[in-house]
Amino acid sequence: MAEMWINMGPQHPMTHGLWNLRVKVDGETIVDAQPEVGYLHRGIEKLVEGRTYTQVIPITDRLCYGSSLTWSHLYCLTAENLMGVEVPPRAEYIRVAAIEMQRIASHLMWLAAYSTDLGLMLGFLYTMRDREVFIDILQALSGSRLTYNYPRIGGVAHDVPPNFERDTLRACNYMEKKLKEYEDLFEGSKVFMMRNVDVGLLKKEDAMNLGVTGPPLRASGVKYDLRKDMPYSVYPELDFEPVTHPDGDCYARYRVRMDEMYESCKIIRQAVQKMPKGKWRVVAPRNGPVGTGLGRVEDPRGEGVMYIVGDGTDRPYRLKIRSPIFVTVSAAPKMLIGYKMADVVAIMGGLDMCIGETDR
Amino acid sequence: MAERGKSVPAQGMDKTLSRVDDVPEEKLIRALLDNFPNTVTDFKKLGKGVVRASIERRDIHKACLFLKDSLGFEHLSMISAVEYDNRFEIVYHVASWGHNLLLELITTTPKDDPSVDSVSSVWGGADWQERESYDLMGIKFNNHPKLERILLPQDYLYHPLRKDFKGGD
Amino acid sequence: MAFSSKDFLKWCDNALEGVLRRSAVGSGLDWLLKDFFNWATRNSIYPLHFGIMCCALEMAVASAPRFDAQRMGVIYRSTPRQCDVLLVNGPVSKKLKPGLRRIYDQMPEPKWVIAMGECAISGGPFWQSYSIVPGVDQFIPVDIYIPGCPARPEALIDGFIKLQNLIKENKKGLLTGK
Repeated sequence: MAEMWINMGPQHPMTHGLWNLRVKVDGETIVDAQPEVGYLHRGIEKLVEGRTYTQVIPITDRLCYGSSLTWSHLYCLTAENLMGVEVPPRAEYIRVAAIEMQRIASHLMWLAAYSTDLGLMLGFLYTMRDREVFIDILQALSGSRLTYNYPRIGGVAHDVPPNFERDTLRACNYMEKKLKEYEDLFEGSKVFMMRNVDVGLLKKEDAMNLGVTGPPLRASGVKYDLRKDMPYSVYPELDFEPVTHPDGDCYARYRVRMDEMYESCKIIRQAVQKMPKGKWRVVAPRNGPVGTGLGRVEDPRGEGVMYIVGDGTDRPYRLKIRSPIFVTVSAAPKMLIGYKMADVVAIMGGLDMCIGETDR
Repeated sequence: MAERGKSVPAQGMDKTLSRVDDVPEEKLIRALLDNFPNTVTDFKKLGKGVVRASIERRDIHKACLFLKDSLGFEHLSMISAVEYDNRFEIVYHVASWGHNLLLELITTTPKDDPSVDSVSSVWGGADWQERESYDLMGIKFNNHPKLERILLPQDYLYHPLRKDFKGGD
Repeated sequence: MAFSSKDFLKWCDNALEGVLRRSAVGSGLDWLLKDFFNWATRNSIYPLHFGIMCCALEMAVASAPRFDAQRMGVIYRSTPRQCDVLLVNGPVSKKLKPGLRRIYDQMPEPKWVIAMGECAISGGPFWQSYSIVPGVDQFIPVDIYIPGCPARPEALIDGFIKLQNLIKENKKGLLTGK
């Protein structure tokens, strides 16, 4: 049987975002795969060098637009590490509540795209409707639906709106009921289970060696979550458990993300109820010192790291961004080889690719 | 940084730094100094569980192999390249999950010869990150399996993140 | 007469050209059916499944139950050969530019282009970047501009309605092109 290379992308209904997957097929079986990225390269690391420290925050929002609060929060953590700024506790709790709501919205967006790809269009309609609940709360908090520009170096931009606690608790209760409905919908569908169980196996040793982090790593059985193991912000005071699954296939990745949504609801309730009164922002110095700063967070897609170098002026000298999906996609060939062409959609969809952060 | 809460260490890691009465950061520094006495310098503890060290570029591959096999640093987090006035610095952030440590390892190269050995044979995750440093900053990695441009078009002529880049075409 | 398939197509085209496009039969048919075909075109706008950046999420939300663009007849298709509208919703990098031009050329006439969001209109927050084309109208003719960063789903639906009005104003017969 002749082997040939097939291009899937950059314009393809499966590719969420712009990237190209070249697969070498022998009949219907995949023999080799080469992902190609770079169609959305905007040169963010160079753009940052011409802006002041606060002007960079809207740019970092647009790194991964599916979960944009995580990236602007990561940048603020890094800049605060460089400048040595102490954030007041009320701001930390507001940040954590907003980030966990963003995590639920990001996972719901993933579930919408994933179920559409697998042919279950009803999943798209239900999850998008429920995502609007959290987007409304975040819009009342920050003023925008998608790229919030809400964290600042030294706190958050402004205080929470009235009835924030009531609305958030109502949203968490609503979400937990709906998650049970989704489990019935997806796991009761025989086609969904057939397309996910035992497909796209990623072994533990491969995942650790190739630098995979986040839900794909935890779905291969490694219990590592930055919020618990090298915690930042007020996560040490909140009670939750990182979720793992021993199997390493697409069903495991789906299961990890669903359970993470339950854990996020728990974290939001605790954060909103424990929020102290006080200041929500400390003014940071205009000029950054000479030195370096480092920040690491647990993004919904993996481990995000930023490394900033300051040179005494009011603009950063160098900002380096580590994107979790950039490294996870390079591990894709290991997961694809040996499966059929129709499995590509389930395997690559299960990684939750957001090309904004891959290409920067 | 806030205090560490209760954490369960990653399963399946073998604890090669076995003496439990010492501070893990000090043990790491001592292990590096014992094995690479002349080339590792300049230690600094940056925070809880974060250590910085400098190493000369000829020993980087041996040091990474030692970190992975003997000390249990399974995860390469990030490879960054920074350009200063008189040198290039390549910064490796390596993490150990079992011990909750992060090591920031800095290598320096002269301005006219920005090349260093590739560590993609030690950690597979270094592959694309080194290609990106080559693409945007122009650092050459020796013995890399496929050192090509990854983010910019293949026929692009410049390395945009250098300080003397003036907008290209 | 024996034809090869290419010659047969050319013969059909010449025959149709004479009968339909230049004669009174063509103009007559057009006068009768022009309004009907225009009504059908503007109420069934088929955009392409092509998401570039953040505005693509708002494009997806516009088909979600809350904002529901399907009431306007908007259904997304996966291949450019079946689409009327190319919705450009993000910054176009220099690596993507030949691909996007090729997709535009693959779409059959009549076709329109909507530039959604600041990045497609002028480069947006990235206009100073070395690898972004500042505005998609530098290589593709654009009909509707939707500002916003990101453009709200209501703005996208308003853009579709403006496109419908634009199609209604420029009625053209399908056969004669007048």
